[in-house]
Amino acid sequence: MSSLGTSPPRKEDRRLVTGRGRFVGDLQLPRMRHVAFVRSPIAHARITTLDAGPARDAGYRVFTQADLGGIVLRAQSALPSYVETGQPALAEGKVRFQGEPVAAVVATDRYRAEDGAELVEVDYAPLPPTVCAWLPPESPVHDEAPDNVLLERTFDAGDVDATLASAFLTVRRELTTNRHAGNPMECRAGVALFDPADRRLTFWSGTQVPHLVRNMIAELLGLSEGNVRVVAPDVGGGFGVKAVLYPEDVALCAIALEMPGTPVKWVEDRVEHLAAATHARDHRYLLTAGFSEDGTLLALDADVTCNVGAYSVYPWTAGIEPLMAGGLLTGPYKLTHYRATVRGVATNTAPSGPYRGVARPASVFAMETMLDDAAARLGMTGVDIRRRNVIRPEDIPYKMPSRLVDDSGHYDECLTKALDAVGYDDLVEEQQRRRGTDEPQIGIGFACYNELTGLGRAASAGPRMPFRTGHDACTVRINPDGRVTVFSGVTSQGQGLETTVAQIVADALGVGYDDVDVRIGDTDASLWGFGAFSSRQAVIGGGAAHRSALAARTKVLRLAAGLLEADPSDLLIENGVIAVAGSPDVTIGLPEVARVAYLESNRLPEGIEPGLEATEFYDPIRGAFAAGAQVAAVEVDRTTGSISILRWACVEDAGRAMHPQIVDGQIAGSIAQGIGGALYEHLVYDDDGNLSTGTLLDYLMPTSAEIPEMTIGHVERPAANPLGVRGVGEGGTLGPNAVLAGAVSDALGVKIDELPLSPSVVWTAARRAAEDRGVVDEDGGPDRE
Amino acid sequence: MKCAPFEYVRPTSVDDVLAALAEADGEGKILAGGQSLVPVMALRMARPAVLVDVNKVEGLSDLECDDGSVHVGALVRHRTLAEQTAHPLLAEAARHIGHTAIRTRGTAGGSIAHADPAAELPVVAVATGATVTVAGADGDRWVAAEDLFAGPLMTTLDPDEMVTGIDFPVPTRWGFAEFARRHGDFALVTVVVAEVDGDLRIVVGGVGPVPIRARSTGAETLGDELTPTGDLHGSADFRRGLAIEMARRALASAGIQG
Ligand SMILES: Cc1cc2nc3c(=O)[nH]c(=O)nc-3n(C[C@H](O)[C@H](O)[C@H](O)COP(=O)(O)OP(=O)(O)OC[C@H]3O[C@@H](n4cnc5c(N)ncnc54)[C@H](O)[C@@H]3O)c2cc1C
Repeated sequence: MSSLGTSPPRKEDRRLVTGRGRFVGDLQLPRMRHVAFVRSPIAHARITTLDAGPARDAGYRVFTQADLGGIVLRAQSALPSYVETGQPALAEGKVRFQGEPVAAVVATDRYRAEDGAELVEVDYAPLPPTVCAWLPPESPVHDEAPDNVLLERTFDAGDVDATLASAFLTVRRELTTNRHAGNPMECRAGVALFDPADRRLTFWSGTQVPHLVRNMIAELLGLSEGNVRVVAPDVGGGFGVKAVLYPEDVALCAIALEMPGTPVKWVEDRVEHLAAATHARDHRYLLTAGFSEDGTLLALDADVTCNVGAYSVYPWTAGIEPLMAGGLLTGPYKLTHYRATVRGVATNTAPSGPYRGVARPASVFAMETMLDDAAARLGMTGVDIRRRNVIRPEDIPYKMPSRLVDDSGHYDECLTKALDAVGYDDLVEEQQRRRGTDEPQIGIGFACYNELTGLGRAASAGPRMPFRTGHDACTVRINPDGRVTVFSGVTSQGQGLETTVAQIVADALGVGYDDVDVRIGDTDASLWGFGAFSSRQAVIGGGAAHRSALAARTKVLRLAAGLLEADPSDLLIENGVIAVAGSPDVTIGLPEVARVAYLESNRLPEGIEPGLEATEFYDPIRGAFAAGAQVAAVEVDRTTGSISILRWACVEDAGRAMHPQIVDGQIAGSIAQGIGGALYEHLVYDDDGNLSTGTLLDYLMPTSAEIPEMTIGHVERPAANPLGVRGVGEGGTLGPNAVLAGAVSDALGVKIDELPLSPSVVWTAARRAAEDRGVVDEDGGPDRE
Repeated sequence: MKCAPFEYVRPTSVDDVLAALAEADGEGKILAGGQSLVPVMALRMARPAVLVDVNKVEGLSDLECDDGSVHVGALVRHRTLAEQTAHPLLAEAARHIGHTAIRTRGTAGGSIAHADPAAELPVVAVATGATVTVAGADGDRWVAAEDLFAGPLMTTLDPDEMVTGIDFPVPTRWGFAEFARRHGDFALVTVVVAEVDGDLRIVVGGVGPVPIRARSTGAETLGDELTPTGDLHGSADFRRGLAIEMARRALASAGIQG
């Protein structure tokens, strides 16, 4: 019985749904102390005084950058234009964004720690802040980059200028996207404990990347890597925000070294999180596209500026968003002539970092807007222009103009299924009926996208960091009782990896799902894993689990063959029972084999070592593209600017869906997050660099009341990896910006150039459209509709 | 986001509340449902030296109907208001306050005393001509709702006074409309239309420092009276446009031609 392809109850749900989850915040250790950070209230300033005296006099332990030995995080990249800058664990001499940690105060509880933080005296001499990445810099954020540009790269393919010059239609647009953030339910959290006897540091951290954290902490603090243990227990959402090593993490560990034997705990609150955890998606796109008369996309010229905030995020660098935007801007569309200059510009705002979908919710919005604009001018539908341009199965493998290789190609099929799911023809009919009436107008929006998942060593090169994230390891151990424990390098922030890994191992080894337990998130238990990002774990961590289970199976069969006096190649194993093919009566159970392996060496066949365990790595070398399409219909109330979503459909190529319920959950959740970004979530800085949306009163997260019912469909085209899987963790976020902007623009006959689609943006656009129509009517009829 | 240190007392009578406030000498604060006060304390933007918890004070949780008016004790929860049937306008307004958990704790007295310009109950209070009962060292005084609200989060209450109840006349005709970004959010604009004793009032919340009682009786002309300011959620024009639309809807639901 195969477990893959079914949806057994998730292993983690026994504890998660009964309130027995174990999060860092739950951890209580003897003599534990609590940390509060003193944070800069100003966006850009020199620190003229930093006096911990009054706080120390009141009995608090206080740490400044000098007290921690001046640790600086330097994200590295070998790209020629990259300007390397440093991020101090605690600010020294200067602050670069509001919320930057300046000092840390330790006390017996968090209340007192915050009392102590108020006693630390800091004086600031303000410097002019830069908030917008596409306005001239006021005063450099880092001396090393006088123009604030930390990285710039041009993708160039074909002959863009000549093609644009001769194109039937050229479309020019300037588009900006809204800064928002992953904002997981659990904020960041850590407990660090240094045991001076054997110089061991244990760091419990709500991180997505424990092995990377171990590596970086050991290096930054000068510890032996084997003496650093990073444990990520249950983690309440990550979305990329927790794939970063933060200055607070490093400071916490450094404080632990200064306070040997005392566990120090920092649990971030929401105000700190909104101010100082990574943001994302603050981009501007200047685009010119050329089309032929039949809607074929001929050339695209792009200039993309990404606001990377005050620091080059560690270890991913300021290149993470701009390079992704440039590499994937053309998405699933065939194109030869492509030029894109992308840059990451530092500003006095919180650093931007990886957030589910990295850059593509913005770049897909930009690309789809160009197609919709061209379609309207050419009198085509949004469906036709996409069908005209998508990569097709017969084009696979398709080399995109950025030289990435698309291995999916099922875009048209995804789009067609999504159109069917929303009832496209009926919607168009109803839309037409309402045109020109006072009723709310209906708009239909589309997005096609290719999600690059499971990047192996050849594809993960990206910002040319000093590491390649293509592989993970997994250990499958058959215990003396015949049950299986898996030590996997994957991590989970709610994606159900314990379940999926157990299914993979159960099937590959030939045991029941219930006989497999999975341990994740502890660097002392598993050999290696890069962690959760880039929709990589199902492909890579899953591949490693599959390979190690097969290796363990081989050992089981060799041992069983000796015991049964049969040839290993004649043996089958199913549900934990090994049988000889053709002789159903000759069997041996896995428990007996395992017992021999560990306890009865007297029965061990000749040449077989004790123990039953296997560890394997997996690297897919390339990546697996996951095709996707989303279609939605909305109703726009022109009197208030509000949008109601009538229908939503998403069809993706997840390859083989290992646990269909988890796959659907990933897609639904990522669409919900995308809708949040498209309609509600906006981190707004004022001109002085003050965050105006510093609490959840002003930073609006979608709730279940705002998220529509959706239809999720699949096109299951196995990918070229052992399990045939494609990542599904992020794809859903790629559609909603484009879908909703396209739908509003379709409903009102307006251009949408900025996000989010707040009621005021939509109301203003509707008003403008009404005014234009009035003017245009006098001249003899509107030019659209 | 942890409160600064404070003293905590929990008196059981209005007199003891007043005594505790007097003793705190301007540094005391009443704690009712805590749904507005506790968040600002957590941000250390409010730092009362003494917190006077009124939740155990007897006799302030009753809702009584008499003679065309509903008397709401200061500790009546929003949830009770939403579920009662004696004052349908109050029920409709209370259903729009936050979410279930907030309505279960938040109190009518707290909402009136907090005077948030975007809150529903102050708009209803002004629209229906409600009377607020205020207890102080010199005994009770009665303040018309219109005279209570002095600005955003500001009232004419003295720091050592307490709201003990509100009398909301039951309107003969009424309409309620509001526009919020998400389900349960504070509204960007609330309009309440209420006719009490033949007197028709249109009152707008969210477009000024206090609930604004319109002079005009039509939605279109109302726009000219308002001077909203732009904020994170949009321009002044957008607010004005919303107010006109909400007035139109409230009037329509009251069965009145805008
Ligand atoms: C997420 C969220 C959403 C919300 N949404 C809405 C909404 O949509 N609409 C809305 O109207 N409100 C909303 N609220 C606020 C909520 O309605 C509060 O309950 C209300 O504003 C204050 O009532 P309280 O009893 O909680 O007062 P508290 O928070 O206890 O006190 C508020 C203030 O009033 C003073 N006070 C309290 N009682 C008295 C009294 N009897 N006499 C004198 N002073 C007193 C306190 O000292 C304090 O200054 C929301 C709150 C939250 C947390």
